[in-house]
Amino acid sequence: MYNRAFLFNGIGSKPEKLLVNLPPELMDKYEFYLETAFGRLGLNKDLEKNKAYDGRVAEWIISLICDRVVFEHYIEKGIIPDIGAGYSSGIVSISSCFGAVPHEFAHDIIMMNRATMRCLEEHDEKLDMGIVIGFSYNDIEEMFADKFSPDEIIIGSGNSRFHVMVSGRADAVEKALLLCQNEGAIKAFSFGTGVAYHHPIMEKYSKEYVDFCASTEYKDPVYPILSIFNREIMTTGKQVMTENQLNVYTPIRWDLALNKLEELGVTEFFDVSANGAVSKFSRVSRKCKIYTLEDV
Amino acid sequence: MREITEEIRQEIKDMIFDYYAEECEVEKDEITMDTNPQEDLGSDSLMFVELIEMTADKYDLDIKLQSIGKYMLKAPMDTMSDVVEMFCKIYQYGNDIVNQ
Repeated sequence: MYNRAFLFNGIGSKPEKLLVNLPPELMDKYEFYLETAFGRLGLNKDLEKNKAYDGRVAEWIISLICDRVVFEHYIEKGIIPDIGAGYSSGIVSISSCFGAVPHEFAHDIIMMNRATMRCLEEHDEKLDMGIVIGFSYNDIEEMFADKFSPDEIIIGSGNSRFHVMVSGRADAVEKALLLCQNEGAIKAFSFGTGVAYHHPIMEKYSKEYVDFCASTEYKDPVYPILSIFNREIMTTGKQVMTENQLNVYTPIRWDLALNKLEELGVTEFFDVSANGAVSKFSRVSRKCKIYTLEDV
Repeated sequence: MREITEEIRQEIKDMIFDYYAEECEVEKDEITMDTNPQEDLGSDSLMFVELIEMTADKYDLDIKLQSIGKYMLKAPMDTMSDVVEMFCKIYQYGNDIVNQ
C-alpha cells in the first residue's frame, strides 16, 4: 500500500545553501511565494534588517517556502507520495503541503516561535541544542546515563546510526558535546539558538505556540503522515494538530520513523528539502533509496 | 594489519578525489593534495561519513566511526593529503587506527 514517502526537513539550513539548489524555474516560484509571505508577515527580505527574533523566523520561513516549491515540483513531475513524515519543524511544513492547514497558517505557526523565544528570555533560561556525528542513539544514551540527568540534557532526536541531536540546558549541552568529541565523535557542535526544542522543559515556555497551533480547524491530510513521536499513521486533522503541538517539547525518533516506513513497504523516499539535507543525516536499508531534488 | 600496495594506495586516492569532485561539484584536476576539503571545497562531516561508509563497503571493512573520531583528535584532516593518509590507515589498521 505504501511505496513512496516524502520526507520534510526541519529548520537549520541556511537560506543561501537552500536557494543555490533551486533551478531558475523554481526560483521564480520561490520569489513569488517569498514576496507574498514576507509582505503579509511584515518581514524584510534583507534578512539582516529584521530584528533578532524576526530574523531567525524569517530564515525558517524561507526553509518552509523552499519545501513548498520542491513539493509542488515533485507533484508536477507526477511523483505522488503515498505517505510522508516531517522531521522537527518539518511537521509544520508537511501539514501545509499535505493540505491539513493553509500555507499562511504554517507561516504563522513558525512566527509563533518568537513568543517562545521571548518567554525563554524573560525567564533567563539558557538552553541549547547540538548535533553529534559519529554516534548512534544507543551510544549516546549509554554515554550520558551516569553523567547527566534528563533535566539537564536529553537526546532530542535519534536520526540515524551516526547522527544524533541533543537538547537541554546550555551548560549541559556544552559539556556533553565536549565529552562526545573526546570519545571519538566525528563532529559535535551546538546550534547556539537559545532554545531546546524537543526537550520537555520547553512545554512551559511554549504555551502560546501550542495554543496557536489549535487555533484553526485542521483538514484531514491529503496523504497520510507518519507520527515521528508514536509512529502511528495519521489520517485526521485532529492528529496532525496534536503532532504540531507535541513537536516543541517532545523527543523524536527519526531513525525509528524511517524503519517504520520501511516496514510499511516504502522503498522510495523523496527528500523535500532543497539541499538534500534529510538524505544526508538519514539512512535507509539497501533495498531503499532516498531521492533528492537533484535526482528529479 | 593489512598490507597496502602502491596500487591500492592510488585506488584509495582516486576514490577520494572522485568523491569530493562529485559531491563538491568541482573538477577533479582542481583538487590537489594540499587542498583543504572544508575550506577550499566546502565539504562537511556528513560527506566525510558517507566516504567512510563507501570505503568500508568497497574494502569490506568493519570500522567504527568513533575509532576514526579518536584518531582525528590526534591527526586533523586539514588537507587532502591528510585524508588520503587516514583512509590508507583505515584500510591497513581498521579500528586499530586509533593506536597509530
